[in-house]
Amino acid sequence: MAKKSLEVEAEVEVEDEGDAAQFKMPVDSDHKATEFWLFSFAKPHMRAFHLSWFSFFCCFVSSFAAPPLLPVIRDNLSLTTTDIGNAGIASVSGAVFARLAMGTACDLVGPRLASASLILITTPAVYCSSLIDSATGFLLVRFFTGFSLATFVSTQFWMSSMFSPPKVGLANGVAGGWGNMGGGATQLIMPLVYELIKKIGSTNFIAWRIAFFIPGVMQTCSAIAVLMFGQDMPDGNYNKLHKAGEKHKDNFSEVFKHAVTNYRGWILALTYGYCFGVELTIDNIIAQYFYDRFGVNISKAGTIAASFGLENIVSRPGGGLFSDYLSKFFGMRGRLWGLWVVQTLGGIFCVILGRTNSLAGSIVVLLLFSLFCQAACGLTFGVVPFVSRRSLGLISGMGGGGGNVGAVLTQLIFFHNSKYSTEDGIFYMGIMILVCTLPIALIHFPQWGGMLCGPKPGYTPEDYYQSEWSHHEQQKGYHTASLRFAENSVREGGRSARGSGHSKHTVPVETSPTDV
Amino acid sequence: MAGLRLSKITIALLLLLLIVCHVGPSMAVLFNQLPKTLIVTATTKSGDVLHAGEDKFTVTWALNTSLPSGADANYKTVKVLLCYAPISQHDRKWRKSNNDLKKDKTCQFTVVKQDYSATGKHEYTVARDIPTASYFVRAYALDASDTKVAFGQTTDANKTVNIFEVVGITGRTTGIFVSAIVFSAFSGLALAFFYVVENKKKK
Repeated sequence: MAKKSLEVEAEVEVEDEGDAAQFKMPVDSDHKATEFWLFSFAKPHMRAFHLSWFSFFCCFVSSFAAPPLLPVIRDNLSLTTTDIGNAGIASVSGAVFARLAMGTACDLVGPRLASASLILITTPAVYCSSLIDSATGFLLVRFFTGFSLATFVSTQFWMSSMFSPPKVGLANGVAGGWGNMGGGATQLIMPLVYELIKKIGSTNFIAWRIAFFIPGVMQTCSAIAVLMFGQDMPDGNYNKLHKAGEKHKDNFSEVFKHAVTNYRGWILALTYGYCFGVELTIDNIIAQYFYDRFGVNISKAGTIAASFGLENIVSRPGGGLFSDYLSKFFGMRGRLWGLWVVQTLGGIFCVILGRTNSLAGSIVVLLLFSLFCQAACGLTFGVVPFVSRRSLGLISGMGGGGGNVGAVLTQLIFFHNSKYSTEDGIFYMGIMILVCTLPIALIHFPQWGGMLCGPKPGYTPEDYYQSEWSHHEQQKGYHTASLRFAENSVREGGRSARGSGHSKHTVPVETSPTDV
Repeated sequence: MAGLRLSKITIALLLLLLIVCHVGPSMAVLFNQLPKTLIVTATTKSGDVLHAGEDKFTVTWALNTSLPSGADANYKTVKVLLCYAPISQHDRKWRKSNNDLKKDKTCQFTVVKQDYSATGKHEYTVARDIPTASYFVRAYALDASDTKVAFGQTTDANKTVNIFEVVGITGRTTGIFVSAIVFSAFSGLALAFFYVVENKKKK
């Protein structure tokens, strides 16, 4: 059926009075790009990609600008370990709810206005970071700056509006990974800027304050660029009621019910907390760790810390690609096993990191830890799109929010006060990763199976996705999108289930934010 | 297949790690074994508040005369440092005292380092990068290989007497203050501007 619809689309395209010809890139009937040209700025698709990943990148740079400069800031403000821990928790807790709210905002005003507004509203917090003189001030600026991490949702939403299903996974993965990279880049940028300003003649306590203007200006400029050059959808901006997917016509309380009663969404929220949440935690603590434990200077500590975040350039997209690859041979069971193995390896390297006593060894372990931790993030969102079709946006939001909750919890338990040394905190965090990754074994899709058990015989994807709609709603035909999705996800049964599988699509046909 | 290759690589890496992860012990200088042979005094009194970059004090050190002669035979240099008092070390792991002087973080700021003489004094203007905290002064005698061999300090063993305070600079210059306000206002205005434009477009 998918092939037929493609043929129909092709005919429609030809008859479309050259509508598609206005786009530099090949598009489908929705005018969403069917290809992904990484090094192009073709309007509006690739332009939207670059605007969205870069503005998200700038938000990460600002949110994690303080950690690499903590050795200076903590003396200027006379901070204690508890103060620093609290601020670290604050920096990631704002986005827990902001991510859920951002999805709604995108629905209402479009990703362009929603993301640019959030970015411009949080930029004053970045500039005012240069004015703080107490632990409370430090906590407040980190808290408000951290709200900007909700632009993750608008990034994914925007990519889903611009890219056709076969490419939306890749677009989401690269945009997410390259944005997350900001958490690494900032550990290089901030010390560099700080040292430069000191060289020009400033004292340390003045230099770090001036340094904060760099992420602030980056953020302001990226938001203005989004407003000036960005476009919500291929055909124009968000001034129509037309939105992708039937979710807008849907009843919010039904969507909510089907999201919160699906245990798989909760398990994935927990496990995402122990890959993405751990990533955020490390962004907050690792520069100080290297500075204090191994006595390297601020710039060196920043460089080492940066290597962790910068691996996102390949590791997160790589995780997503690996998930798709496993699915080709083993279907959903492959995706689940891949996620468990990769995230467990991340946990193992975290445990080793906490027990490594040499600088060189720590760097090597950190690089390996980063690879598996971030790949697990990509693999998580290889599974999320299949948990629910009706409540896809909210399930994705739960996953994303869960990531931040994991960061809050981990920092609260292990890095908040002087109870554990940082190396012990890292060791125990690794153990916690191993434990909290085990629940993946409990995820079972009756139509495809789970890690430990095979599928229920005779149960089809149609049955699964249709069960989210009541008989009454099915009679009205509200569930047709879910049915199309079910047909296209036949491939998730693995090679044995392929049989008549005619869909070459690697990701769900219908859109809504597939990755958060 | 891919999984098996992955596990082989992992094992190889783990072996590499075991080789790389070693702790190299070295001859540690322990604080509780250092003889307290120097008498160190400073013109600051208990509870004094000094402002970084402005105020000064004079530190004087002298070899304890009741020691047998030749006790300072191997002293080549004197290093005087500003050290954190316990109240400023509380809940701050990066200022922790450690008996192993290689790991000790109590004294992070050098007041003066000069050739050793049986007595000496130095007038010190509190540097602009000294943070707000409570301090005392300690002097180490170093031998020819720059190893600490003796010490003296202005406070007692519990570090409770003769503690003075330094108030560091805030770092908030007027320029920074104005810039922060201006840039923040600009961001808000830019947002408002684009909203007005959007609304106009809608109509």
